[in-house]
Amino acid sequence: MGEVLVQLQNVGVAFSAQRRVGSGRFWALEDVSFTLRQGERLGVIGRNGAGKSTLLRTLAGILQPDRGTIRRTEASFQLLSLALGFVPHLSGRENAILSGLMIGLRQRDIVARLPAIQEFSELGDFFDQPIATYSSGMVMRLGFSVAIQAEPDVLLIDEVLAVGDAEFQEKSGHALRERMRQGQTVVLVSHSETQVASLCDRLLWVEHGRSVLEGDRDSVFEAYHRDLHHETAGP
Amino acid sequence: MRLHVLELIRFSTYAELRAERSRSYLGLIWWVAEPAMMMAAFWFVFAVVLKSSGPDYLPFLLIGLTMWQWMKSCITHGGYAIWSNLGLIRQARIPVIVFPLVQMLADTVKFFYILALLLVILWCSGHPPSPAYAALPLLFLATFLFAAGVGFCVAAVVPLLPDLRFVIEQVLTFVMFLSGVVFALDQASPPVREIIALNPVASLIDASRAILMRGEWPDAMALLKVGATSTIVCALGMAIVYKLSPRYPKLAA
Repeated sequence: MGEVLVQLQNVGVAFSAQRRVGSGRFWALEDVSFTLRQGERLGVIGRNGAGKSTLLRTLAGILQPDRGTIRRTEASFQLLSLALGFVPHLSGRENAILSGLMIGLRQRDIVARLPAIQEFSELGDFFDQPIATYSSGMVMRLGFSVAIQAEPDVLLIDEVLAVGDAEFQEKSGHALRERMRQGQTVVLVSHSETQVASLCDRLLWVEHGRSVLEGDRDSVFEAYHRDLHHETAGP
Repeated sequence: MRLHVLELIRFSTYAELRAERSRSYLGLIWWVAEPAMMMAAFWFVFAVVLKSSGPDYLPFLLIGLTMWQWMKSCITHGGYAIWSNLGLIRQARIPVIVFPLVQMLADTVKFFYILALLLVILWCSGHPPSPAYAALPLLFLATFLFAAGVGFCVAAVVPLLPDLRFVIEQVLTFVMFLSGVVFALDQASPPVREIIALNPVASLIDASRAILMRGEWPDAMALLKVGATSTIVCALGMAIVYKLSPRYPKLAA
């Protein structure tokens, strides 16, 4: 088993219910505990509103827990975010640099990778045009090409396995799967059970902001399905 | 601060200016044309219509407005920056201080364009450069620290109390008139003058007029006081932003 990268113990995260001082809070995460080790590909499953995305943003360090503890090593965590901080009036090239800086890369590293980004995004000469002139598919292609440049110790993926048209979906999906095969530690949130089943070896089941079960893929899937079935068949 | 954050601040400032330039037909010209139009309006109202002017009223007004507009834009643009970037703050782990700082740096770059125009006007109207110009960098540093400090405080609170935006513009207009930006406050009664003397904006604008109009070294004691105040305000603003940082990504959308 790999080295422990992060350990959550009874973690809870509360949001302001309204944009008003003194408004109440609601707990998006109530009580989550699990351990992530080096080289694991952990899938997070659970129904809508279970707190999966909040959990990813907490792992990314964007959200601080309001209760419980997170024990981290030096490992870096990065949320795979497409088109982060894109500005319409700037060119694809400038946006690639800006977005790259926002995901924590050094400027010289992004500049060195610009040719690769241009090629992967298939933008050709459009790369130097303002992205305001792009189609939404082109923006997504550029977004993915930049986002995939991040090389964190733990990659956090929230439903962005495939973007763009069918051809680019295949290409972007392939690039991510290739990353995982090379031993990238990943935490993946997806509604597609087939995707989770094919990409992850461990699962964490979250329900109503609480971690229900963590374990190997098959046993967690089995328990999850039993519960789903129980609920639909229930009184 | 980690190096890539400094790179992010630098590139975002460039991107902000670049995007602003390409958003309008005349682009860069507006950086100077817009404040020039505003100054012309003030000059027309106060010098021509109200005849509230002495012989040196034009340079007096232009220096006051140039310095004030710089401070005001840092406070308002920087002040709204965290609030307007909440979407990004929810998605990325970026030190939130970056957002107001980038706006303030972009405004500072624009200020230097306007300053260049101001200097040309001053030299052409009988206020040539003087050795006292050596004090300008220090004066500008104190001005930036003060405006940035107030801007950080506003930026920290606006996401939690967005209604403040309606108050800030009015407060700033009030402060502008009480800082001797458009007319001298010599006629005010002595106790009022004493209170005004405590206003850092008034001291900063006085000092800039001493240097640029009269070629005098600014009052060292006053500048030292305002420099110390500015540093404290800036440190306080940064501390509040830092303290409230964990709350911003948790605000309701």
